Amino acid sequence: MRYMFPLFFILMIAVLPSQAADLTARQIMELADDRDDGDNGVSDMVMTLIDKNGNKRARKIRSYTKDKGKDKQRIMFFIMPADVKDTGFLTYDYDEYSKDDDQWLYLPALGKSKRIATSDKSGAFMGSDFNYSDMTSKNLDAYDFRILDEKEVRGEKVWVIEAIPKTKDEIDETGYTKSVLFVRQDNYMVVRGVHWVNEGGRIKYMDSPTIEKIDGVWTATKRTMTTKKNKKTLHKTELNFYNVKFNQALEQEMFSLRRLEKGL
Amino acid sequence: MVIQLRQKIEVGFGRFAHLIYRNHWKVLFLILILVAALTSQLPKLTMDTSTEGFLHANDPALISYDHFRDQFGRDEVLAVAITAPDVFDLKFLTKLKQLHEELRNNVPYLDDITSLINARNTRGEDSTLIVEDLLEQWPESVNALEEIKKRALSNPLYRNLLLSEDGTTTVIVIKTDAYSSLGVETESAGDFDDAAFEADTETEAAKAERKFFTDEENNELVIAVHQIAERYNGSNFMVRIGGGPEVMFKLKQTMQTNMKRFIRLAFAIIAIALFVMFRRISGVILPLLVVLLSLLSTLSVMAMAGIAFKLPTQILPSFLMAVGIGASVHVLAIFFSHLQQGNTKEDSIVHAMSHSGLAIVMTSLTTAAGLASFAGAEVAPIADLGLLASSGVLLSLLFTILLLPALLSIIPLKAKISSSSEKRHARMDRVVVGIANFATRRYKLVLVLSGIVLVLGILGAVQVRFSHEPYKWMPESMSVRQAGDFLDQKMGGASVVEVVVDTGKENGLYEPRIIQGLEALKYEIEKIKGGPISIGKTLSVVDIIKETNRALNENQQAFYKIPDNRDLIAQEFLLFENSGSDDLEDFVDSQFSKARFTIKMPWTDSIYLEILSADLERRFHQQLGDDVVVTVTGMNALLGRTMAATIFSMTESYIIAAVVITLMMILLLGSVRIGLISMIPNLTPIILTVGVMGWLDLPMDLFTILIGSIAIGLAVDDTIHFMHNFRRYHLETGDVPDSVRRTLLTSGRAMLVTSIVLCIGFFIYMFSILTNLFNFGLLTGFAIAMALLADFFLAPALMMQFYKQGTTAVEE
Repeated sequence: MRYMFPLFFILMIAVLPSQAADLTARQIMELADDRDDGDNGVSDMVMTLIDKNGNKRARKIRSYTKDKGKDKQRIMFFIMPADVKDTGFLTYDYDEYSKDDDQWLYLPALGKSKRIATSDKSGAFMGSDFNYSDMTSKNLDAYDFRILDEKEVRGEKVWVIEAIPKTKDEIDETGYTKSVLFVRQDNYMVVRGVHWVNEGGRIKYMDSPTIEKIDGVWTATKRTMTTKKNKKTLHKTELNFYNVKFNQALEQEMFSLRRLEKGL
Repeated sequence: MVIQLRQKIEVGFGRFAHLIYRNHWKVLFLILILVAALTSQLPKLTMDTSTEGFLHANDPALISYDHFRDQFGRDEVLAVAITAPDVFDLKFLTKLKQLHEELRNNVPYLDDITSLINARNTRGEDSTLIVEDLLEQWPESVNALEEIKKRALSNPLYRNLLLSEDGTTTVIVIKTDAYSSLGVETESAGDFDDAAFEADTETEAAKAERKFFTDEENNELVIAVHQIAERYNGSNFMVRIGGGPEVMFKLKQTMQTNMKRFIRLAFAIIAIALFVMFRRISGVILPLLVVLLSLLSTLSVMAMAGIAFKLPTQILPSFLMAVGIGASVHVLAIFFSHLQQGNTKEDSIVHAMSHSGLAIVMTSLTTAAGLASFAGAEVAPIADLGLLASSGVLLSLLFTILLLPALLSIIPLKAKISSSSEKRHARMDRVVVGIANFATRRYKLVLVLSGIVLVLGILGAVQVRFSHEPYKWMPESMSVRQAGDFLDQKMGGASVVEVVVDTGKENGLYEPRIIQGLEALKYEIEKIKGGPISIGKTLSVVDIIKETNRALNENQQAFYKIPDNRDLIAQEFLLFENSGSDDLEDFVDSQFSKARFTIKMPWTDSIYLEILSADLERRFHQQLGDDVVVTVTGMNALLGRTMAATIFSMTESYIIAAVVITLMMILLLGSVRIGLISMIPNLTPIILTVGVMGWLDLPMDLFTILIGSIAIGLAVDDTIHFMHNFRRYHLETGDVPDSVRRTLLTSGRAMLVTSIVLCIGFFIYMFSILTNLFNFGLLTGFAIAMALLADFFLAPALMMQFYKQGTTAVEE
């Protein structure tokens, strides 16, 4: 009788049919990191900034992306509002974490392009609630991952994974002291995330309420990031993607300074 | 008729005293029930020491400040200044970084922290635009350190904000939360419902209910900063802490401890003085009991009415002490004197009550009516003070005429037959008679001298300087003053006034005219120096655009300006937003329709701030035109407006009170002429007190102006007691000098005892380190002494002048 219980327990684990239980948090994050997010993509993004009083401010941006090996290149042009039309950003996001991203911008009113040097990814992306680290992939080695729970988000099963940065540098880099990520079990997409900001007691809530399979690629066509403090909303950003297409014939020339200065 | 009525009332008081004597236990029981019922409400009493507490919730100045705080956060920042021989020394910077991080990680309610460690450093190098924190790349070599030093010293943004001009002092700026987080539970991992990912647009009603950052939270934050920063303090790392949150914390803390200490001390001194005067324990306990119960009951009434204890309400204990002691001493002095003459206790109680009862009721009603006239004041706590002080007076009256005789009935008391007490009694009588004789015989001289003194008083009174500078109440020996003075001198001050420019349209700030106008204002305002206010520095979106423009143009100083092109301004804003810095949200709203313009300056008199506010509004409209809305706000501007409003509202209230009191005097004394004459000894002490303030250049500030309520209480007391008794004796004999003598021998003794006791009680405040408490003690004591002298000398002389010898009364 005494040996029955542990034996039963061991048997239980062995026969548990779910493949999910076999994956460690780290493995799940690797799957999420490696999932196919498309190549040679074109999209129109409408970024809506919403302040706590509900005032809105919209920007429309056309963006093109291309993979170059493991690196990612992106060129973006503002379409709206009129004051900043044709302002462009060109970004080379390197897979190697020790290498800072390269970024150039072109201001039409100034008539010249500039390289922007910044090593900090904790800064806001285009003045939104997203920061640069939210827009690029993370260095998995810099984190301790742990499965907290399994839940459902909008009817889909997800793993709830806690990510804690191992080093102070990583905290400084991303601006987050801790994150909780909701990873869909069917397609490994991070559909929700909660990020604790290292200053001012703020918490940011990322959500991808609309996910579509476009040209075979699971794509979030709507993403929101809500910054809260003491459970009160400070600011919110909505990203809506339209005309998303992948596998377009994008020349390497598209991702050059010359093209940046030429405009759309 | 009047005589009959008065006699009837006096007989009535006698009967009433008999009744109490016979039912003393019942009366005591009833009073105890009343007190118990009232004090059960006491736990509901709330404190509100905030500046906002001065204004009614719908005051436009408060509403615009609340909008400001909601948009840009709290304006007052904490400044941790660190002085070293060389700020750009690697060891120093390492320590600074440690302190910066420890503060960031451990200080509660911290919203934002800025220092040289993370200061924005936007610059252009060749064709590269570099946006990073000043110390983002930690300097490893001497050359790198030199480079950073050069950058920091040449950055106009840091000067007088993060770095002193001589480069020996650097400041860590800590911005606190704007809203209170008391009672908000923190999000724990794992329980995120769908709602957490939604933005909740708050309704206006929900927003109105949110509490702004509280004093308690401010204190907690300041204490935490002190604890951390002081551990770093050392010879090559000298820490000084200043700024609004620190000053507010220290001032309130010092005020509270000093107020408490000196009220206790005053009670103790008054107890001793009462003992010296009466030589009886009962003579000490009873008046203090009346005061204590009046105070407790009044505070309970506050609690019941839901009125918070605010800064001006601090005067209540002192006020009730003055009034309560006065009333009970009048009963006790007559009682003990009658008892000493061999009368029974019951007789003595009846005698004291019939002699003084009516006068006490009259003084209480008059003082209460006078103070109740504050109730209409537009400054909320002044209105509260009026209501509370008048209910306090009435409660004190209740205890004096009910509890006091009941307790006298219960306590075993006998005449004390001792030669020393006889001698003392005789000595006081001699003094009082001497005064009465002098004042009546040489009444012309007294009138002339009083006239001269009064003229001098008026000459002083017109010079009184309205001012409010709580920062200067604290002595220079306090660390908060040393740090504050240091920051004022080295960093152009740590106090701010905020201006918000609302263009009324989205992207209104892209307009070159507006942003260039703001730039012109920056230069114009930073030139305001040397007068009562010297502006240290201004901060606005102008700095951001200028530095971006320069960085985009290879750091050429010629481009440190606002571009002429609207599109370029818009694009530079976009670039800055995209650079990752969130500094823009400190200066503009998300619609780019409003700009915040912060003006940094040393601590100054709130009265000047009121003038500055008007001046700023004019300058802004001049530069930007009339189609923008300009709002001068911030805690300092609010303080200026509040204090000015309070002081003027109080002055107005006093004038109304004087009119009400005059009417009461006319009504109670039953004669217009006598009522008006009685206002001379009533007003003289107040005029003389204001006169002394003028001559000694003591400021009429929020604190000193409250003394008036105590002065009114005492002056009215003394005058009514004098007039009431004088007229009683005069109606009996028709002899003015004799009536004066008899008045001073009876009520005069009580007035003398009260005044001596209270003068000592208030003069004790002069030992406080806070100048406002020193002034309070000096002036209140002086007012009390003047009230006594006015009724010992001036009132008798006036009686000599206006009553003809031999006639019984002028008014009949």
